[in-house]
Amino acid sequence: MYRRLRLCSNHGGYEAVADPPNRLDLRSVRTALEGAGIPVVDARVMLIATLESEVTISRAGRLLFKTPDPGVAERSFERLRGILGLPPMEPVEPTGSGSG
Amino acid sequence: MARGAMLMSGGIDSPVALHYLLRQGHEMVAVHMDNRPFTDDSPLSKVVDHLAVLRERYHQPIPLYLLPHGPTQVTLMRSTDRHFGCVLCRRFMWRSAERIAAREGASFLATGEALGQVASQTLSNIRSATASVHLPIVRPLIGFDKQEIERVAKSIGTYSISTRPGVCCQAVPDRPATRSNLVQILKEEDRIDVDEMIDDCIRKAQIL
Repeated sequence: MYRRLRLCSNHGGYEAVADPPNRLDLRSVRTALEGAGIPVVDARVMLIATLESEVTISRAGRLLFKTPDPGVAERSFERLRGILGLPPMEPVEPTGSGSG
Repeated sequence: MARGAMLMSGGIDSPVALHYLLRQGHEMVAVHMDNRPFTDDSPLSKVVDHLAVLRERYHQPIPLYLLPHGPTQVTLMRSTDRHFGCVLCRRFMWRSAERIAAREGASFLATGEALGQVASQTLSNIRSATASVHLPIVRPLIGFDKQEIERVAKSIGTYSISTRPGVCCQAVPDRPATRSNLVQILKEEDRIDVDEMIDDCIRKAQIL
C-alpha cells in the first residue's frame, strides 16, 4: 500500500512512500517503462522517468513526482502503477460530517 | 580589486556571500551547476533571480555560466561509493568552476559555505573537496550561523527567492559521509574518467 501523496520538504514535488517498503528491481522497472515508451535515465541506484511529470524511482519504492500540481502527481502515479503493478494508494479518509 | 568565480546554488547562502564580495568591489562571474534531472528547474530560476537583484544593486553585469552536472551525477552514482557522493560531487563543482575562472581571467573561487551546516561542509569534507583545485577559495560566510545569513538575505532581498518551493537534490545519498580522507576519495575517482567528464561539462557550458 502506498501512503497518500504528500508535499516534499521543499514543497516543490509530491512523494509517494510505500508502507511497508516495496523493494523494486530497478532493472525490471526500467525494462517495463521503456517497453511502455517512457524515457528513463538509469543512475543505477535510482531511475528518473518522464511521464506527465518527471519521477524519481528509488529501490525502496519511494517515488518523487517533480511537480507542484497534486493532480499531475496522482495521474503519474496511477500510470506508473498500471505499468509496474505497484500496490494501490491508501484510500482517502472520510471527512467528518462537521456536526461534532 | 580582483575578479572571482562564485558558485551559485539557488539557496540562501550563495547570494549573501556574493553580496559581500560585490560590496567589497570585486568583479564577479557566477557559475551554476545544473543538477537536472536530480532536481527541477527551480534552482536555476532562483539563481537567475538572485543575480537580477544583485546586478541591479551593484551595477555589475555578473555573467552566469550554466554547467550541466546531471551526467556527472549519473556517472558518480553508477561507478563510485555512494557514501562519498557529496564530496565527489563538490570536487567536480570546484574543478568546473576553476575552468570557468581560467576562461574568465578570475584569480579566486568563492562559495557560500558555512562550517558544519550540511554533510559537505564538515572540515574534512571541505578539505577533500577543495584539494581538487589550485585557486584560492574565498568563503565570506564561513563563521556565520544560519540566522545571521538569513537576516542579511532578507535585507538584500534574496531570501524570498531562495525559499520558493523546489525539489531537493535527489542525488544526495541516504547516509552521506561526514568524514573523508583524500586517499579514499582519489581511489573512488580512479574508477571514472575525471578529465573527460570535466571537458564534457565545460564544452556544454552556456552563458546566460
